[in-house]
Amino acid sequence: MSEEPRIGVFVCHCGLNIAGVIDVEELTEYARTLPNVVCAIRNRYTCADPGQEEIRKAIKEHKLNRVVVAACSPRMHEPTFRRCVAEAGLNPYLFEMANIREFSSWCHPSTPKEATEKAKDIVKMAVAKVRLFRPLKSMEVPVTNKALIIGGGIAGISTALDLADMGFKVYLVERSESIGGHMAQLDKTFPTLDCSICIEGPKMVDVSRHPNIEIISYANVLSVQGFVGNFRVKIRKNPRYIIAENCTGCGECRDVCPIEIPNEWDMNMGVRKAISVPFDQAVPLVYTINMDYCIECYKCVDACGARQAINFDQKPEEIELEVGTIVTATGFDIYVPDDNSLYGYGRYDNVITALELERLILAAGPTGGKVVRASDGKKPKVVIFIQCVGSRDVNKYEYCSGFCCMYSLKHSIQLKEKYKDAVEVYILYMDMRTHFKGYEEFYRRARELGVNFIRGRAVHILENPETKNLTVRAEDMALGEPIELEAELVVLATAAIPTKGTDEMARILSVTRGADGFFMESHPKLKPIDTAVDGVFLAGACQGLKDIPYSVSQGSGAASRAATILSKPTWKIEPIIAMVDPDKCRNTRVKCGICARKCPYGAIKAPEGEPAEVTTAMCHGCGTCVAECPSDAITQMHFTDAQIFAQIRAALEENPEDKILGFLCNWCSYAGADLAGTSRFEYPPNLRAVRVMCSGRVDRDFVMEALRLGAGMVLVAACHLPYDCHYISGNEAMKVRMEALARMLEKLGLSPERFRVEYVSAAEGVKFADLNKEMAEQMKSLGKGKIKAENEKLRPMLEKMLSRKKA
Amino acid sequence: MPMKLLKTETEKELVVKRILHTKNYSLTLDKTLCTGCEICKEICPKEAIEIKTFPKVAGEKLKHPIIDVDEQKCHFCGICSSLCPFGALKVRVDGEHVIPVVKTESFPELIREIDVDTAKCDVQCVECEKACPLELIKVSVRTPDGKEIMDTESIQDKEKLTVIVDVKKELCPCCRVCELKCPYDAIHVKKIFHGTIRINQEKCPSGCQDCLDVCPITGALYLSEDGKVYVNELYCIYCGVCKIVCPEEGALELQRTYIRHTPVHSGAWNKALEKLTSTKELTKELQTKGLTKVRESVGKRLGFGGS
Repeated sequence: MSEEPRIGVFVCHCGLNIAGVIDVEELTEYARTLPNVVCAIRNRYTCADPGQEEIRKAIKEHKLNRVVVAACSPRMHEPTFRRCVAEAGLNPYLFEMANIREFSSWCHPSTPKEATEKAKDIVKMAVAKVRLFRPLKSMEVPVTNKALIIGGGIAGISTALDLADMGFKVYLVERSESIGGHMAQLDKTFPTLDCSICIEGPKMVDVSRHPNIEIISYANVLSVQGFVGNFRVKIRKNPRYIIAENCTGCGECRDVCPIEIPNEWDMNMGVRKAISVPFDQAVPLVYTINMDYCIECYKCVDACGARQAINFDQKPEEIELEVGTIVTATGFDIYVPDDNSLYGYGRYDNVITALELERLILAAGPTGGKVVRASDGKKPKVVIFIQCVGSRDVNKYEYCSGFCCMYSLKHSIQLKEKYKDAVEVYILYMDMRTHFKGYEEFYRRARELGVNFIRGRAVHILENPETKNLTVRAEDMALGEPIELEAELVVLATAAIPTKGTDEMARILSVTRGADGFFMESHPKLKPIDTAVDGVFLAGACQGLKDIPYSVSQGSGAASRAATILSKPTWKIEPIIAMVDPDKCRNTRVKCGICARKCPYGAIKAPEGEPAEVTTAMCHGCGTCVAECPSDAITQMHFTDAQIFAQIRAALEENPEDKILGFLCNWCSYAGADLAGTSRFEYPPNLRAVRVMCSGRVDRDFVMEALRLGAGMVLVAACHLPYDCHYISGNEAMKVRMEALARMLEKLGLSPERFRVEYVSAAEGVKFADLNKEMAEQMKSLGKGKIKAENEKLRPMLEKMLSRKKA
Repeated sequence: MPMKLLKTETEKELVVKRILHTKNYSLTLDKTLCTGCEICKEICPKEAIEIKTFPKVAGEKLKHPIIDVDEQKCHFCGICSSLCPFGALKVRVDGEHVIPVVKTESFPELIREIDVDTAKCDVQCVECEKACPLELIKVSVRTPDGKEIMDTESIQDKEKLTVIVDVKKELCPCCRVCELKCPYDAIHVKKIFHGTIRINQEKCPSGCQDCLDVCPITGALYLSEDGKVYVNELYCIYCGVCKIVCPEEGALELQRTYIRHTPVHSGAWNKALEKLTSTKELTKELQTKGLTKVRESVGKRLGFGGS
C-alpha cells in the first residue's frame, strides 16, 4: 500500500484510572510529534459511545488511515475499537492499542513521571507498528452446526437440552457409566429439600429421549483438533462388555453374579456387583462388567440367555466426531482428607466426609437411609460437622468451596427432622456463607431446629479406642478459649477440587487453568463462560465451584454462547496467519522443512523440492514457523518482522540501557502482566513490552536487535511448560531456540542475567510483578557502565549477524 | 470412613479384610492346615496369591512353603476356599462363613467321599486314627447307652459296643492312607485329585529329599535304601507342593488329570480346571459333559475353533 500513513492517536483518561497517574495532556502533545500522526485527541472514556463517535468523526475529518487508541489492554477492548474503526470505513486491522493502563498507570501509581515516560514509549511503539500495518481481510470458515458437551452432570445436561431444543445436534460425552454427575448422588437439595434424583432423573431421561442428543457414555475424549466451527474430536468408548442395544436393563445378570465390589458411587460405603449399574436411575440404563473384579464365570451369560447382550470380547472403540463448538462441563471432585492427620479420617471409623453422609442419609443408599456408625452400626446421638476442611486453608486449597455451608445446614436440618431430639447437632464453622435466594432463611430454620453453631476451627480429633467416640478439640472464637466436644459421629465438609483429569482436558483443549486448578474463563467479569480458545465454552463447576441453580444457569448460558456460533453458516477467524514467500523458501534448493516440523498444528507442508505451503484454515497464527524459518521466508500477518522490529527500535530509541525489552505471549504472560496491573501490583517501570501471540514467534533476531540497540535487559515470557501453551508447543520451540542463543550470547560476553526466559501464567500477576522487581534490581547492581561496555563489545558481532535484516 | 484393606498375620493365621461402612469381607488362612501347595495360587482368578518358599537350613528338614494373599487384589470370591484340599482358607462376609461363588453356583466344590462301615470295625482297632497323616480321624467306642469307653480290654461283651470313626471331612484331602491301612476293609475313600507323578531318577540329585520333607502325606514319598526318593502313587493327592520345592528342573513331574467336583458348569471353573490339569483334560471334561456353548467360548479364548 503506497498511501502515506495518516495516524490518529486517541488517549483515554479512563476516568482517573489513567489520568490519575499519567499526565495525559503531555502524552497527547507528545503523540502529535510522532511521525505520520496527524491528530491526537484526549477523551474521558474512549470506549464509551461519545469516545467512539469521536474516533469515527476524526477518521472522516482528518482522513485518517491508521488509528491508535492509548487506553487499556487489547485483551479487553481491541475488538471494540476494531469494530469502531470499521464502522468509519477503515479496515479493522489498521488499528492498534497502546496499553497504558494495565502496563503503566495501574502498576506505577507512585511514580507518575516515569509512568508518563513509559506511556509515551508505549504510544510510540504502537505508532511505529501501526505505520506498517496492512489492511487484512477476516477469513470465513464454514461452521459444523453440531456441539460436543464434555461431562454429563447437571451443567452439561442443561447445556445439552437447551442446544438440542434450539435444533442443534448434540453429542454428550460422559466418562462414567451414567450421566447425572454429583447431583444424582445427593439425597435432598438445599434450600427446598426436594429430592435430588426426583428432579434430575426426568431431565436425564429427557436427554436420553431427545432426538437431537446422542449420549456417549463410558467414554473419554482423546484429542481435539481444528478450530472454531470445525473441531475434530477423537473419543474412545470404553468396553462395557455389554451390547448396549441388546441390554434391557432387567438386572437378571446382576442377581446371579457372585462378585460384590465396593461401589464408588456410594463412596465405597456399600457394594455393587461386578456386573451392574451404579444406581437404579442410571441413564443410559446399560449394565457394565467391571473386568478388574470379574472372574469370568459366565453366570451372567446364562442369565441373559437369548437376549445375548453380553460380549466378553468387546474392545475399546475409537470414534471421530465433527463439531462446531465444545462445551466443557467436567465438574469437580471431593477432596478426600486422608492426608490430614489431625482429623483422623481413614483411621477413625466414625469420621466421615459429607458426601459419605449424603449416601447414608439417602433412602436408596447402602443403609436404606439410616445414619449409622461404621464402628457399631448404631445411630449416633451427637453429630459434629466441621466446616472448611481443606477449603480456605492456605496450606491446602485457598479458595472457599462455596456450597459446603449450605450442605452442612441441609444435613443438620435433615438429622434434626429425622431424629428430632434424639440427636444433637453441632456445626463448627469459620463463617456461615448463606447468600443467594432462600439460603439465609434456611440458616434460620437450622437455628430454630436447635442446631448448635460454634464459630471456630477444629484443631484436633481424638478417638476413644473402646467406644470409638470422638473428642473434638476446637477454639471457640466467641469465648476466646479452647473447648472440647464429645461426638459419636464427625462429618467433615471437605473442599471441592477440580475433577481428576482436568489437567489432561486442559491440554487437550488448549484451555488454561487458574492457580486453583479450575479452567480459566476468558474474562472474569465479561466473558465468564468463554475460554481463550474460540468456540470452547465452560459450564458448571469446572470453571469454579457452583451449586445446582448456578450450574444450571451457566449451562444454559453456555448453550446460548455456543449457539451464537452454531447458528451461523460461517464464522470469521482472525487473519493473523502465516504466509510463505515461495521465492525465498529454501526448500526448493535444499532439504529443509523446518517449518513443517515445528508447526504445532501440522498446517504446513513442505514437499521435497517445492516451496513450503501453509494450509490457512489450519493455521492458528502462533508464528513459530516464522521465527524458525532460516531464510525469513515466512511472514505472520499483523506480526511481521518489520512491524516488531519497528516496535523494538521505537522502544529503545532513548536510554536503552535503562530498559527491559520484554516479549510477552498473548495468552499467558501478557495476561499475567495485565493481571499484575488490574491487581495494582506495583513494580519498577523499566519494562517495554512487545505483545506476540505466542512466545514461539520470538525470533532470535528480535533479541539480538534489542541488544544491538543497547537494551539493558531482554525478557522472553511464555506459558508454563509443558502443557500450558495455547498453541500446543510454541513455548517448547522457543525454549530450544533461546537456550542456544543464550549460550552464544554468554560466550560473546553478555552477563547471563541480562537475557532471561521466564514462564508466567495468566494467573500469576504476583510473579510477573516480582520478576520485574528482581530484574530491575539486577540491572541496578550490574550498573549502567557495565551494560554499556558489554553492549559495545557485542555490537560488531550482532551487527554482522543482523546485516541481512537491514536491507 | 473410606474403604479399608487390611492384612494381619499371626503365628497361626493370615487374615485379609475389606471393610466398608456397611459390609465387611475377610479371607482367613489357617496356617496350621496350609501345606503351601500350589492349588489356590494356580486358580486364583485375580492372581492375589503368592507362594513363599523358605531357604534350606543345613541339617534341618526343609520347611514347607506358605501362601501369602495380596489384600489389594483379593476380591473375596471364595474360589480358593472351595478348592483347597486341606480346607485351610475361609471367606467370611459380615462374620459369616460363606463361599460366594458356590452360593451362586458359579463354582463347584470338591467331592470328599469317605465311607466308613463301622460295622466291620474291631473295637480295639485304631489303625486309621494312627495312620491319618493329618490327624483328622478320631476313633471312639461307645456302649449301647452312649457312654464312651476308654479301656475296651475290660469289657466282656464286645459285640454290643459300637465304634465311631469321626473324620474331619472338610479338611480331608482324601489320600486313602486310612483305607489302605485299615485291616478290616472298613474305610473307602475316593481321591479328589487324580493324576500322575514321577521322579526322574537320573535327574534327581542324590542326598536331596526336599520333596519328601514337605510332602504332607506320610508315605506318598519315601526314601529308598539307595538314598533316593520314590513315589507311592497310592497315597499321592497331587497337591504339588513337592514340585514347588524341587531344585532340579524336570526331576519331578506331576500332572493332574481329573478332579472330582460337584456338578457346575461355569467359565471360572473351566479356567481353574485348565490351570490345574491341562487344556487336553479340560476339553475331555467338556466333551463328556457336552457343554457346547461353554466349549465354544473356551475355544474362542484359546484361539482354536469354536463356531
